[in-house]
Amino acid sequence: MNNTTFMGLEIAMRGLYSSQRAMANIAHNIDNVNTPGYSRQVVNQTSARPLLVANGAGMLGMGSDVVSVDRVRDIFLDEKYWSEAQYLGEWSVKATIIEDMQTIYNEPSDYGYTKIISDFYSSLQSLTTDPSSLSTRALVKEKGVAVAKYFNSVAVHFDHLQEDLNNMVNAKVEEINNIADQIRELNLQIYHFEVMGNKANDLRDHRGYLVDKLSRLVNCSAYEVETGLKLPNGEKETRFVVTISGKALVDHEKAVHLKCESRETKLNEEDIENLYEVSWADGNKLQLKSGELKAYIDMRDGNDGIIGSDGRASPNCKGIPYYQRKMNEFVRTFALSFNEGIIDTDGDGVLDNIEGHVDGFTLSGNTGIRFFAMLDEYGQPISSTEFEARALDYASKMGIADDPTTSWDERLVAGYQNITARNFSISFDIEENPSENIAASSNAGEAGNNENINKLLAMRHNTYMFMEGAPEDFIKTVISSMGVDGQQYNQYLDVQEGIVMQIDNRRHSISGVSLNEEMTNLVKHQQIYGAAAAMIQSYSEILDILVNRMGI
Amino acid sequence: MRITNNMLINNMMQSLSGNLMRTQKYFNQLASGKKISLPSDDPIVASKALKLRTDVSEIAQYKRNTDDATAWMDITEATMSQMTDLVHRMKEITNQAANGTNTDEDLLKIREEASELRSQLISLGNATYAGRYIFSGYKTDKPLLNDDGTYNIDVNNSEQIRFEIGIGDNININVPGSDLFNRTIVGASAGNKSEFVDTFDKVIAAMDSDDKSELSKLLGDLDDELGNLLRVRAGLGARMNRVELAAGRLEDDNVNFTKLMSKNEDVDIAEAIMKLQNEENVYRASLATGARVIQPSLVDFLK
Repeated sequence: MNNTTFMGLEIAMRGLYSSQRAMANIAHNIDNVNTPGYSRQVVNQTSARPLLVANGAGMLGMGSDVVSVDRVRDIFLDEKYWSEAQYLGEWSVKATIIEDMQTIYNEPSDYGYTKIISDFYSSLQSLTTDPSSLSTRALVKEKGVAVAKYFNSVAVHFDHLQEDLNNMVNAKVEEINNIADQIRELNLQIYHFEVMGNKANDLRDHRGYLVDKLSRLVNCSAYEVETGLKLPNGEKETRFVVTISGKALVDHEKAVHLKCESRETKLNEEDIENLYEVSWADGNKLQLKSGELKAYIDMRDGNDGIIGSDGRASPNCKGIPYYQRKMNEFVRTFALSFNEGIIDTDGDGVLDNIEGHVDGFTLSGNTGIRFFAMLDEYGQPISSTEFEARALDYASKMGIADDPTTSWDERLVAGYQNITARNFSISFDIEENPSENIAASSNAGEAGNNENINKLLAMRHNTYMFMEGAPEDFIKTVISSMGVDGQQYNQYLDVQEGIVMQIDNRRHSISGVSLNEEMTNLVKHQQIYGAAAAMIQSYSEILDILVNRMGI
Repeated sequence: MRITNNMLINNMMQSLSGNLMRTQKYFNQLASGKKISLPSDDPIVASKALKLRTDVSEIAQYKRNTDDATAWMDITEATMSQMTDLVHRMKEITNQAANGTNTDEDLLKIREEASELRSQLISLGNATYAGRYIFSGYKTDKPLLNDDGTYNIDVNNSEQIRFEIGIGDNININVPGSDLFNRTIVGASAGNKSEFVDTFDKVIAAMDSDDKSELSKLLGDLDDELGNLLRVRAGLGARMNRVELAAGRLEDDNVNFTKLMSKNEDVDIAEAIMKLQNEENVYRASLATGARVIQPSLVDFLK
């Protein structure tokens, strides 16, 4: 085959086209410098198919050709990111929530538990120095109210927080479903584009970005599986699958949702009503290993792994129910020892019955009055006798009935389960008439007798009252264990932020757009464009000679 | 390694927010004066802070208790000191009445004074502190003695009002009237006559009958009453001493624990200011370098 007249012009034109494609690609890259999840694209250029010269003088080059536009992406880094981001999600949520929880206790400060309980004991001390003083008695009542209100307020704040977390669980489930739907949609689009042999670069970036977001929410893995079939262009057909703990959330064109359903029975007895149970919409049990969703559920339900009433285990994490339980344990034990004098005095693990408030005598010589009780359904404190009736009633409901084998103390102790941090209160008797009903004396008719108050005060230093020690030790332990958890979460978060940042940086290093690089390429392609244009100019002149000056 | 524009920007943002976070930490420390604001900042400091707060507030209360105890005991001591003077005077006039050189007029005067001393003794027995009868044991709302020298109430020697002046350390601050006004009988029951007052009554009766030998004999009884009074005073004195020691110790404890508390949770201002300054310098430096690094690219130079 010989040279055709216009061949040179054609080759030069290909040069123009290639440069144009390359420059358009640079424009696209620059436009998307700040698009999240975008990976830079490169134009894959080869020399065009050469012509065979007939006389055996070799091959004749036919210029350049653009074969494809590829995105620069390292799938290995994506997978690494997806497997690490879940922990970042989990710890960042947990670190924030435990900060909220710490503010509820408001310690260490001059307005927290320590201050309130110290004030209460101080008022009792003042009463020992002047047991007949009516104003000191009124003070003791007010400080008692402050103690009760502190626990009420802590419990209510925990309740609110639990409700907020419950709403967050719902929001996160919706976010996951939403992302699953978008991924499914993109799967279809990508499949339809690529079946023709094209590469859906931008759509793939977008899908990768959605998986990035999903991987913070929940432990997930995403991969393409080969179906074993071939596409019309000869490539292997693949389908994109996203799984949570092995079960597919998105399987190519199918997405299975998660759902939130209100629990019929509480997981922990301390929980508020109607918390959401998260499961697969098809009814399967959802297994979560990490991610924001698990963090919200852990902090909402975490009761240190205790098995609930219906045999389900709570998450092995110290979340809201754990601290509610601790507060309940405190007010129950505290009220039991203060009221009844039922307390372990010698550390043998068995409750002893010494003198409590109920055993003391009031100013006018009455006895049998409890200092602490609980609020009724209308938020009013109930009287000491009413409290006793309810406690015994509760005990018999719990199967500890009035029969010769169970002692009075045993029934009473069981009945104190009725008290929670939410309903803890002073009794109506004290509320109504503190000057009369505080039982300071160990005998009737002795105005200056402070023996009973002294006995109540001695309990402050009874280190067998709780497993954790004396009343103030108990709260100190609770608060510092929360502090230790918080510190740990923050450390995990720091480490995880470092890891994820590192992976993301490497992704940026490979896939990110560099302006300098693009500009350099722009100059490169611009010059080639100019050169190709000059070639066309030369050919045009050659043709001019050929057509106009060869003179026929 | 290929460095892209967004990498530069991300890294810069990361380090700037790290700078700001540390600056904020020192700012918070300086603004609040405390090393920590949440237990998770340093759980050990937090748990110590809780413990020390309890200790300090307890010490403050114990101090108030020792103040109250001291006031009560001071009154008791002063009253008993007056009683001692009173018994001394009684002895003097009894002595006077027992020797035979008195005129009738003298004897009358002596008798009058004796009965005056007797009623003073009863009124001292009913002394009060802030409206509370100090010798009435637990029945602080009722006077100990009737005018005729009989007990108004039952008082038991074990009716000891106890104040806590340290953890597990309490001290009885009162003197039960039965201990003071009954020398040989243990306890006192309402309606029975006080032995102390009875001795006075006997002296007055002997004066009335001008029975000199009886009076001489009664001098011995008065000495015994004085002995009993001094015994009780010595006991109270020892206890006052203990309270004083305890108050001194509590004062020291208060200073020490407050110091410990401050050392545990208060920020070292000089150190924090220095660190804040340092962070500020680092922050300025990273802003300056950041601004230089992220601005120019090849674009600026392609003309």
